[in-house]
Amino acid sequence: MRAYKFLRPGAVGPFSGFAWPVGEWVEAREPTLCESGVHACRIQDLPYWIAAELWEAELEGAVREEPRKLVATRARLVSRVDRWDARAGAAFAHACAQRVRTRADEATGEKAERLGAYAADAAANAERGEVALLGYIAARAAEVDSGIEGYVSEREAQARWLAAELRLEP
Amino acid sequence: MLISEDLTCQQLVELVTAYLDGALAPEDRDRFEQHLVLCDGCSWHIDQMRRTIAFAGSLTEESITPQAEEGLLRAFRDWNCG
Amino acid sequence: MAQVEAAEAQLLDALRAGDEGTFTALVREYHPSLLRVARMRVSTRASAEEVVQETWLAVLNGLDRFEGRSSLRTWVFRILTNIAKTRGQRDARAVPFSALAEAEGDEPSVEPERFAPPGERWAGHWRSYPVRWDALPAERLLAAETLARVEEAIKALPPAQAQVITLRDVEGWSSEEVCSALEISETNQRVLLHRARSKVRGALDEYLTEADRC
Repeated sequence: MRAYKFLRPGAVGPFSGFAWPVGEWVEAREPTLCESGVHACRIQDLPYWIAAELWEAELEGAVREEPRKLVATRARLVSRVDRWDARAGAAFAHACAQRVRTRADEATGEKAERLGAYAADAAANAERGEVALLGYIAARAAEVDSGIEGYVSEREAQARWLAAELRLEP
Repeated sequence: MLISEDLTCQQLVELVTAYLDGALAPEDRDRFEQHLVLCDGCSWHIDQMRRTIAFAGSLTEESITPQAEEGLLRAFRDWNCG
Repeated sequence: MAQVEAAEAQLLDALRAGDEGTFTALVREYHPSLLRVARMRVSTRASAEEVVQETWLAVLNGLDRFEGRSSLRTWVFRILTNIAKTRGQRDARAVPFSALAEAEGDEPSVEPERFAPPGERWAGHWRSYPVRWDALPAERLLAAETLARVEEAIKALPPAQAQVITLRDVEGWSSEEVCSALEISETNQRVLLHRARSKVRGALDEYLTEADRC
């Protein structure tokens, strides 16, 4: 089954430091409750794992679905999603910052103040080239604005943005 | 506003060994990794820890001296014949 | 785990049958771990080497009676510990490992000054990021001097921490093996390992980044 993986430059796992060989199958132990397996993203999971490189991957064997990721016993990197580069990252960050700004502008009273602070943080961090952090700030701002549903909707909007911009197939 | 309200960097650094041992509960592990997605500082800290472990692992092996080994082999033969 | 037990059963059979090759291989394989641990308990290298020799003699004496309730490695290690303790006991009172472990302080693994204090907006976050060691020149990282510093830092650790990091990271024992050999819980073992690694990392970081500033 098709999935996606965000990796560090050089196709390196962000948490394991594992250098992925492109195209070759990689085995992991059985994904048990104490989980040990290859992690990958559905499109909806992408915003939570943003990193420098995005790869299309293929998963085989037992695949477990978790709230924010897939865990598989066997996987391989198929090809790099070239459209995900610094420019695309900056565009993502900018879009997130815009949404926070809109929320702040449309809010009133104490909420407007809080969201104003988030908007300033968003702008400053977008300026510094942060990408994953902007997704987080936007989601937290949405939560301040309209509770946990707001958080979830914002993350879903981020996922849709990535899928459209990068022309990803589910 | 905190980068990750669930886990600060100061809290994360205390969990690194448990994380590397795979001993964090699933929710804690997720929180730990989500923090890393957002925080280069902690990623680099963990990288330092990994390298420290690797350095320790590459300290030269002490080999047994040939004389000591001979002595033990003699003792083994004696024991076996006894 | 069944595979390990089967392999060990084979090894014991070979030893009891007098197979010198098996014995020699075993002695060579265990030597680094045994010597390192012995050196932590006695004052001289020569003393440590004697402790290791005595250990193997005691192992041979007890081999027929070894029931395999623990792994061979754990059993050999316990014999070593007892012999080393007896030697060390001539000079100092023997303290049980668990007592040593508890007495070894409770400092945070990274100095609190590295983080923004409570009350500040970014409380608990890095004031300045850790240095990227992978950005340092390769010759620095690979230098013998760097390894010497690591060895030094481990030697400077309190005994229980030194013991755990040596077995886990220097000698590559698993968590279960270390807990079994030292008769401590997994939690205790992890706490000791964490403190040990943190101190060594700190010492290394100081060394690597200090020289960089020269």
